[in-house]
Amino acid sequence: METGIGTENMKIKRTFLSGVAGATLTAVLALSSAIAFAAGNHHGSHGEKSVIGISGNAADVTRTIEIKMGDNFYEPEEISIKKGETVRFKIINTGEFVHEFNIGTAAMHAAHQEEMMMMVEHGVLEVDKINRDMMKMDMGNGKTMEHNDPNSVLLEPKETAEIVWKFTDDAELEFACNVPGHYASGMMGEVHFE
Amino acid sequence: MRKSFMQSLQIGFMAAASIAILPSMSVAGTYDLTVDRVIIDTGDFQKEGIGYNGKSPGPVLRFKEGEDVTINVTNNLDESTSIHWHGLILPFQMDGVPKISFPGIEPGENFTYKFPIIQSGTYWFHSHSGFQEPDGAYGSIVIEPEKRDPFRFDKDYVVQFTDTHPHSGKRIFRNLKMSADYYNRQQQTLGDFFSDVRKNGLKATIDDRMAWGDMRMMKTDIEDVQGFTPLINGKGPEQNWTGLFEPKERIRLRLVNSSAMTYFDVCIPGLKMTVVAADGNNVQPVTVDELRLGVAETYDVIVRPMDDKAYTIFGASMGRTAYARATLAPREGMVAEIPEMTKAPLLTMADMGMDHGNMAGMDHSNMKGMDHSSMKGMDHSNMKGMDHSNMKGMEQEKDSFYANGSGLVPTAANGGKFLSYADLKAQKPLYEDREATREIELRLTGNMERYIWSINGVKYEDADPIVLQYGERVRFKFVNETMMTHPMHLHGMWSILDVGAGKWDPAKHTISVAPGTTVYSETEVDAPGQWAFHCHLSFHMDAGMFRKIFVEGGPKSASLNPSEQGVLQ
Repeated sequence: METGIGTENMKIKRTFLSGVAGATLTAVLALSSAIAFAAGNHHGSHGEKSVIGISGNAADVTRTIEIKMGDNFYEPEEISIKKGETVRFKIINTGEFVHEFNIGTAAMHAAHQEEMMMMVEHGVLEVDKINRDMMKMDMGNGKTMEHNDPNSVLLEPKETAEIVWKFTDDAELEFACNVPGHYASGMMGEVHFE
Repeated sequence: MRKSFMQSLQIGFMAAASIAILPSMSVAGTYDLTVDRVIIDTGDFQKEGIGYNGKSPGPVLRFKEGEDVTINVTNNLDESTSIHWHGLILPFQMDGVPKISFPGIEPGENFTYKFPIIQSGTYWFHSHSGFQEPDGAYGSIVIEPEKRDPFRFDKDYVVQFTDTHPHSGKRIFRNLKMSADYYNRQQQTLGDFFSDVRKNGLKATIDDRMAWGDMRMMKTDIEDVQGFTPLINGKGPEQNWTGLFEPKERIRLRLVNSSAMTYFDVCIPGLKMTVVAADGNNVQPVTVDELRLGVAETYDVIVRPMDDKAYTIFGASMGRTAYARATLAPREGMVAEIPEMTKAPLLTMADMGMDHGNMAGMDHSNMKGMDHSSMKGMDHSNMKGMDHSNMKGMEQEKDSFYANGSGLVPTAANGGKFLSYADLKAQKPLYEDREATREIELRLTGNMERYIWSINGVKYEDADPIVLQYGERVRFKFVNETMMTHPMHLHGMWSILDVGAGKWDPAKHTISVAPGTTVYSETEVDAPGQWAFHCHLSFHMDAGMFRKIFVEGGPKSASLNPSEQGVLQ
């Protein structure tokens, strides 16, 4: 079921290095360049960024974890990680709705949920469809609704994607779907550090 | 004669069931229920009522999807009884409506219900005989899904709302028939009259009162039976039912409204509620601050208290004459503040179906049912001056399930999000979406003064059954021509509520139709036999807002032959 890999999804990994919308890039540069954003979390809260880890190098990958996204749950619902480990996540949306896989803290997810709500209100996100062309729309202040941060992917039904992630810290992390209502009804999983 | 008929029904049913049984199915549970006279203590008063297994509410029946249940019911009353499994899809002989599904259960007799459980979610059961339901004859049903639940929760609680009245159902009905406003304590007073005169002028105020008088209606006609004590799981506000949790747990609250007459606006100050199911069926989760729980409806919500403190589950009655209260707390005995009820709504001309600002949108063909003779006396030039005080608040959010300018549009006490029917979208649609084969118009009608409630102007005892064909998809058009909200309940088949979401339209068992509105629902006619279809406000149902549905055709084993019809009638 690799057919669904949109160029968009592949791009997600690249955009971080190869340039996103101007304002976002500036914001990224204002921080340490090695530090990743929570998807769409353009508001700051700099303190917790580093704890979630960084985009990893494919060469450092020690194992692949497959995550299935159903309606509305993950399989598996918890993963075990060693501090410092680089993992390849292979993410498959087996459901009939749009789902997200996002690595972050509970607070980051809460902030991102508001942004995702905005995406729904603006018609960028439909229940089973992502209007990716609308994501580039300038929302004012140079902000866009692009969902292009390396710690997350947003997938339509049947789409798949990969994330290579290095867990630099043994922080309290969750992987979560921040599509409105999904996290609140339990679509999240726990990251345990060994 | 009756015995042998029942036996043949049982055999017929068993044959039908065995066809439906899947090879993997092996669960079978037996449950016993006794129907008893019980004492109900609300904290405000004690009364004799009816319950199950010695209690009201009765037990929570926990089934599993795929299970074949056998429920032995023993009638310990000195009158006939019945149990209807509200929202369950089952053979009509097991549906528990006297004179439609079966003859009823006589005093001292037993009846064995047997049916397969082919769904999951939160439901309830109640007597369908006389006024036993308002007298306490209800319980709840929780069905665990066969596959994994799409939502995650650590605990679940049934939260069953009821409106326990000091008077017996029989007495209430007698009083309503004598005087329809017998229990309406919120009538506008002489003081209101003078304050309106100051505000609106004498002529406008007199015209206002006369217009409403001509319609035999009052702006306070929101709850026609007041003076009850709302209970949650059998506990009054002071008795305070408490559900325990540990901080950060996800708690699924299965809200059930088993009230005879009362809608509740439910909130939990300090917690968002994520609605995950409506009338037993999963919906795409939507997070709200407050929701209106119509009579006979169920909503499942997930809440996640993060702090080590108590939260109040608060349910203000729609007319704001009373409230239900319970608590979620980490430990027994902890309480949280009980909020003030927000202001009582007043009906507006929009709730009369007379929204003059929106006449273009009105279906004039529906106006036939109106009493034009009494309308002639109305001074339309003065109607603009009416009820502006109520209408200001209505500008915030449009809810298409209320008339434009309705006084009943709910707003969340905290100013946040209030659930609308328009937010309900099926998580997994039960049926393929398709065009309805035909439309049936059902005007919800009544004569308030005589306390007659009817459909298309005809009350049940004078009406022919509605005949549906097995396999068709019928679109029901509900036109509410009364000033009261009617929760319409179709037995045996789902009502797919048209919220404009196409294939995601949610399937419900009870459709609440607000005054002055037209609401559509569609039904895939997939259950042979005969069924009840009625307003679930107990006293409206008994006053005639009721129809028998007859489904023609369908699988042989379940269909009726003419001689059986004769017995059932």
